[in-house]
Amino acid sequence: MSRVGVFICHCGENIAGTVDVAAVAKAALDMPGVVHAVEYKYMCSDPGQTMLKDAIRDKKLDGVVVAACSPRMHEPTFRRTAEEGGINPYQCEMANLREHCSWVHEKGEPTTAKAVDLVRIQVEKVKRNHPLKPIRVPITKKALVLGGGIAGIQAALDIANTGSPVLLVEKSPSIGGHMSQLSETFPTLDCSQCILTPRMVEVARHPNITLYTYSELEKLEGFIGNFKATIRKKARKIDEKLCNGCGVCQQKCPVKKIPDQFNEGLSNRAAIYVPFPQAVPNKPVIDLANCTYYKTGKCKACEKLCPTKAIRFDQEDQIEVHDVGAVVLATGYKTMPVGNFSEYGYGKYKDVIDGMKFERLASASGPTGGAIKRPSDGKTPETIVFIACAGSRDRLKGVPYCSKICCMYTAKHAMLYQHKVHGGKATIFYMDIRAAGKNYDEFVRRAVEEDGVKYVRGRVSRVYEDNGQLVVKGVDTLLGGEQLEIRADMVVLATAVQAQDGAEELAQTLHVSYDPYRFFAEAHPKLRPVETNTAGIFLAGACQAPRDIPETVAQASGAAVKVAGLFSQPELTREPIIAVVDRQPPPVFSHCVGCFLCKSACPYQAIEEESIKNRNGDVLKVVAKVNPGLCQGCGTCVSTCRTKAIDLQGFSNEQVFAELMSI
Amino acid sequence: MADPFEPKMTAFVCNWCTYAGADLTGTSRIKYQSNVRVIRLPCTGRIDFMLVMKAFSRGSDGVIISGCHPNDCHYTSGNYHARRRWMVFRDLLDFMGIDLRRVTFSWVSAAEGAKWAELVNDATNTVRALGPYKEVQQLAAVGIE
Amino acid sequence: MEALQNKAKELLAASAVKVVIGYGKGTGESRRPIFVRAAERAGDLVVDTACTQNLATYLTKAEVRALGRIAIVAIPSTLRSILQLAAEKQLREENVLALAIVDGGVRELATFDAIEEAVATIPDAIGEADQKMIDKLTAMSVGERRAFWADELGRCVKCYACRSSCPMCYCERCTMDCNRPQWIPVASHAIGNLEYHMVRAMHLAGRCVECGTCGAACPVGIPVHLLTFFAEQTVRRQFGQKGGASAKLDYAMSTFKPDDKETFIR
Repeated sequence: MSRVGVFICHCGENIAGTVDVAAVAKAALDMPGVVHAVEYKYMCSDPGQTMLKDAIRDKKLDGVVVAACSPRMHEPTFRRTAEEGGINPYQCEMANLREHCSWVHEKGEPTTAKAVDLVRIQVEKVKRNHPLKPIRVPITKKALVLGGGIAGIQAALDIANTGSPVLLVEKSPSIGGHMSQLSETFPTLDCSQCILTPRMVEVARHPNITLYTYSELEKLEGFIGNFKATIRKKARKIDEKLCNGCGVCQQKCPVKKIPDQFNEGLSNRAAIYVPFPQAVPNKPVIDLANCTYYKTGKCKACEKLCPTKAIRFDQEDQIEVHDVGAVVLATGYKTMPVGNFSEYGYGKYKDVIDGMKFERLASASGPTGGAIKRPSDGKTPETIVFIACAGSRDRLKGVPYCSKICCMYTAKHAMLYQHKVHGGKATIFYMDIRAAGKNYDEFVRRAVEEDGVKYVRGRVSRVYEDNGQLVVKGVDTLLGGEQLEIRADMVVLATAVQAQDGAEELAQTLHVSYDPYRFFAEAHPKLRPVETNTAGIFLAGACQAPRDIPETVAQASGAAVKVAGLFSQPELTREPIIAVVDRQPPPVFSHCVGCFLCKSACPYQAIEEESIKNRNGDVLKVVAKVNPGLCQGCGTCVSTCRTKAIDLQGFSNEQVFAELMSI
Repeated sequence: MADPFEPKMTAFVCNWCTYAGADLTGTSRIKYQSNVRVIRLPCTGRIDFMLVMKAFSRGSDGVIISGCHPNDCHYTSGNYHARRRWMVFRDLLDFMGIDLRRVTFSWVSAAEGAKWAELVNDATNTVRALGPYKEVQQLAAVGIE
Repeated sequence: MEALQNKAKELLAASAVKVVIGYGKGTGESRRPIFVRAAERAGDLVVDTACTQNLATYLTKAEVRALGRIAIVAIPSTLRSILQLAAEKQLREENVLALAIVDGGVRELATFDAIEEAVATIPDAIGEADQKMIDKLTAMSVGERRAFWADELGRCVKCYACRSSCPMCYCERCTMDCNRPQWIPVASHAIGNLEYHMVRAMHLAGRCVECGTCGAACPVGIPVHLLTFFAEQTVRRQFGQKGGASAKLDYAMSTFKPDDKETFIR
């Protein structure tokens, strides 16, 4: 006969204020199998836990039900306590009397009756619990970092510095990400590339980091500690070992009029190109869609002129499969296209640009050498209008969230403009100023007080072109809603930060959750910001939510520490909540009839075939077998099995049936 | 005077989304009717249709089944399998004469605390209006347990 | 008929198969399964429109499996059953020779591919009377249906003839026989009967070949086959997949499409 102990927690007044805990304890004592039932103020406290351990020992309990808060809060706590008390941790269950009872129902008899039912359900379950042992799994101590922007770079360096090898995979031909496109960064106004490029070079030189640029992840199989990553190294059409970065190919390529993505279309590049001069690696790549040779079979100028004969037109994509133990997602963001905004011209006005384009204008290594010039005619704008919140905080036509970085970079842009165009007039239309970081508010005040930027609190209803200038119609709400019309030479929209293109597909490839805006979902918004719900896959940077550089770097280091923590253990202990196919003595061997419908249902391909043989080696029966390393414990197989030969430990058929029958 | 009828509601929910969502309902202190008894399972994929069947024959007047939204399953596809099972089982229940108004299916995520409360209240109210499930309970009362 | 008898004689005489499972004369006008082992007894085999029982049930019995290669007289539903059993890894191709009854004679189908090809040409439709009954039931109200089934299933004595006669019910330990937990009461029981047939229909959904043998086997005349037909039709209608179409597993209830149409989920 079972000897179950029931411990009812008051949780201060949280439970006891609504549920008659004494009555619940009394009722519990009447339940078959329960030999001990007490109530206590705070079960999770030290004295509470000591009491639990003492009771296990003194009353020789073989099962424990803690009726308190949600198991999602304290199940690990009490399971550990039960283990210290001398029973298997999986002989401990929790009844949720707080989140599911005292906090949501009125005080009264029905609520207490429900509490008794909830306790009874868990008593019936725990009577059928079996002692389970955690599963030990080896760990491949190698990390995969997806994305070579500042987030990926920081994470890769931090992990590599702990001694573990890192594979850094970047989709574009160079690492650096959006940070390499920025001119100066807030709040210090130091040059973005100056602080970034040393990190980029460190990544390239680091003995523990293998850099795969112009590469993408095709498939990720396996589970934490034991992933198999299939990576496609796209063909640059260059032999990287021979190329010395002289640049002759780019100069001599006859196709020169391709809009340069790095410069946001403000300049052109050739069909063979290096994205920017400080690119790491500094090796070109051939843009197949625009290369004359690939389109018509003629040219090959680069091949003829390359001094080291490094061009390889027949180079194929290479597929490599790597074993890794953890993955860090650092794929970054994009900004909402200007074409989205009907009021601001649908993107057809050349001088209505977005923040990233302004960065390229302001950048000393940009297409205009750092001079602010109108894209339409190259003249210097005398009047410039910045529109904040373009697309952000807009439930109807944009995204409802705040993009976080725009208030700061708009102030920065206005300041840079004022520094470069003395006498220029900068106006910023804003809704609020969000400058919460360290030295952030002081930075914005500088723009107003020292650089004379005019801040107008109001929205812009329309921008249209008139005679080579842009007419901006807005409102000043601090002046009682006075309508304003400004004739500007250039308009800069602070467009919303959005998830990277392809984020949804990548999330599905990795089985990672994402929110309606395609930002990757963290495991818990407050307490687990760098993990995902998929064990072994971590998050860093703007792929999770809009954020600035200091936060990105901090989060990347956070993700790196999680990886390092994982790798610091000799092996990984996994929860034993897994499925098991039954085994019986001969001649039955197993109730499984080998139909393998479970195998086709398993989301993790965790079910294998096992041939049961006699001593002569003749196969008597082929039955299903669960791989304990792969099974995640969802139980889909259990519902699919007709004969109930497969069962889920921890949520077995007997347990769930008993729970249901006890209500 | 006899007590007014209070329906017995059983809910089968998945641990990662709906159970967490119900926890959020609690943390937010949103009140809902107390008739429901939740049975926690790791995933909706684990919800055997036999459990739903037994809930009714055991005396439940109404059943709620809830899990993660499609594409968000913690185990990637358990809820897709569950959905298929429900599509067939629901039609079969109807064909065999079980009142589908007493069964509520839903997707409730870990962030939808308010939705859980609304769902429980609506389902409980609907079943209260339909009355006790006498037709099935009478059949169950015949003979052995 | 003669063609079949000759073919059986030939196969048995050459020891190409250990037994020919087919139909023989039963009492009155009925037909019953027979197991012809000796070539001389090939004449016992009968083939006519009264041969409706799906003989594939015997293919998964341990006694038959132990014999090695066997031949089976196959009406269309038997061919479908063979494919479904093959998809569920219950049959080895080299051990089953299907003797398909076609106009004017017998066709030997020795591979699952050949059976698949043959099955593809056979139309799906269930019997007219059965379809009429299903239509009549779906047109009733929920209460009327409940009364109908409670009435019908009230007569069920849990003899399990339906289960025994079904080729797809080959589980060595049926859910009904599981007592930890005892999902469904063993004895004939008002709610238990409803539960048993509900479970059987769900277990057959996507696997049923619509042979109707279960309903024919019922000694008290309950149209249990209508339940499995309905489940199968539901699967076909909702997902476009069906039982007994291929030897490659395509089980609707263990596969899914991300955009399966849900109309009832809040």
